[in-house]
Amino acid sequence: MTYNFKEMGWTDVRDQFRKWRENNERCSDDVIQLWEAVLETRVQKTGNERHLILEQVIIAAFDTSRLDIASKCIQLLSTEFPESLRVMKFEAMRLEAMQMYDEALELLDEIIAKDETNAAPRKRKIAILKAKGKRVEAIKDLCDYLKIFMSDQEAWHELCGLYLAEGEYSKAVFCMEEVLLHNPHSHLIHQRIAEIRYTMGGMENIEISRTYYSQALKLNSNNLRALYGLYLCCSYIANSRALGSKRKEAQKMAHWALETAALRTTKSSKINSNDKLISSLESTLASLDIKSN
Amino acid sequence: MGTKIVNRIMLIAGLISLLHSAFSAAHHRTYLRLTEQDWTRLPLDIVVQIVVSLLVVVYNLIQVVGNFKEIRATVDMQEKSWDTLGNLPSFYTFNHRGMALYQNYEPEESSSAGGSKSSLDVDY
Repeated sequence: MTYNFKEMGWTDVRDQFRKWRENNERCSDDVIQLWEAVLETRVQKTGNERHLILEQVIIAAFDTSRLDIASKCIQLLSTEFPESLRVMKFEAMRLEAMQMYDEALELLDEIIAKDETNAAPRKRKIAILKAKGKRVEAIKDLCDYLKIFMSDQEAWHELCGLYLAEGEYSKAVFCMEEVLLHNPHSHLIHQRIAEIRYTMGGMENIEISRTYYSQALKLNSNNLRALYGLYLCCSYIANSRALGSKRKEAQKMAHWALETAALRTTKSSKINSNDKLISSLESTLASLDIKSN
Repeated sequence: MGTKIVNRIMLIAGLISLLHSAFSAAHHRTYLRLTEQDWTRLPLDIVVQIVVSLLVVVYNLIQVVGNFKEIRATVDMQEKSWDTLGNLPSFYTFNHRGMALYQNYEPEESSSAGGSKSSLDVDY
């Protein structure tokens, strides 16, 4: 997204940065563009948010390989807070961005030695292992980290991602359930657990997956992906060798899910008289034959 | 912030009016004590002034302070998507292709003698 810099006053840019910070959005290109055009000269005026904005810009500069901007901002922060461990962490991230991983690890070990309770440099060490591709060691270190800092939501989330990349679905589900404990109202996390369970396969997992999809739908009836997932689980149960009553119930649920999904897609579709086109497409696909010569 | 000047002025006016009505209530009490009458209720105009200035203060304070957040936890979540939820700032890595897409990227010169290893190789 390109922004019209002439029209955006610096207060608007500051508010936009705050929104991105709160929503955890990683739109680094926009941040750097707006920073260079508008906010750089007026950063003093932002008062209390100044340091948060500088940190946001540093990370965005690393993403877009603008190491000059990053160095300048780190310099600004370090002149204001000379011996700060937080600024040293950014220095280590700068070494990471230049791919000097060994020096970065040394610096991070220094920070950890100065303050054992500081969680951030330990997480950066794990990120370095991830960047080097050493997933198994990253998992081991992250497990050790979680033995000490048990309630770190982000770390559980990250561990789930690492286990999924390794294909260890049961452990990934455990990690995601820990994240769910912190966010019980989040329909996205219910949906994620349901998806992992569905991937694991097998009758029990599909039934558990169905419950999680239903919970995701209960929390957010606009979640089309959960609706589709519900349909898939129910059709699996309906076609499997389960009890007759369960199969009937699953079939009814599948039918409802399919109807609701179709209704929603036709409502939000931009093509006029879409259902006629869809029904003709369905009949053509149904009459496809696989011929073997 | 500029559009809230009216609210701020009304807020200050409401607070001044509230103080004024408290002062006149105290004044009225002294008068009653001097004329030795019973003190059962305040005169109607003071009561009206108190109630009106209270409403003015409450309304303008809410307007100045900002937007309310939805009380139901689920409605807030409905707008979010996995794009932003899956971002974990403490674990960001920077060796993605964004580095090459932007201006200052200088690809490393691979030595011709070594050959097989490039900067894209990852140590396992």
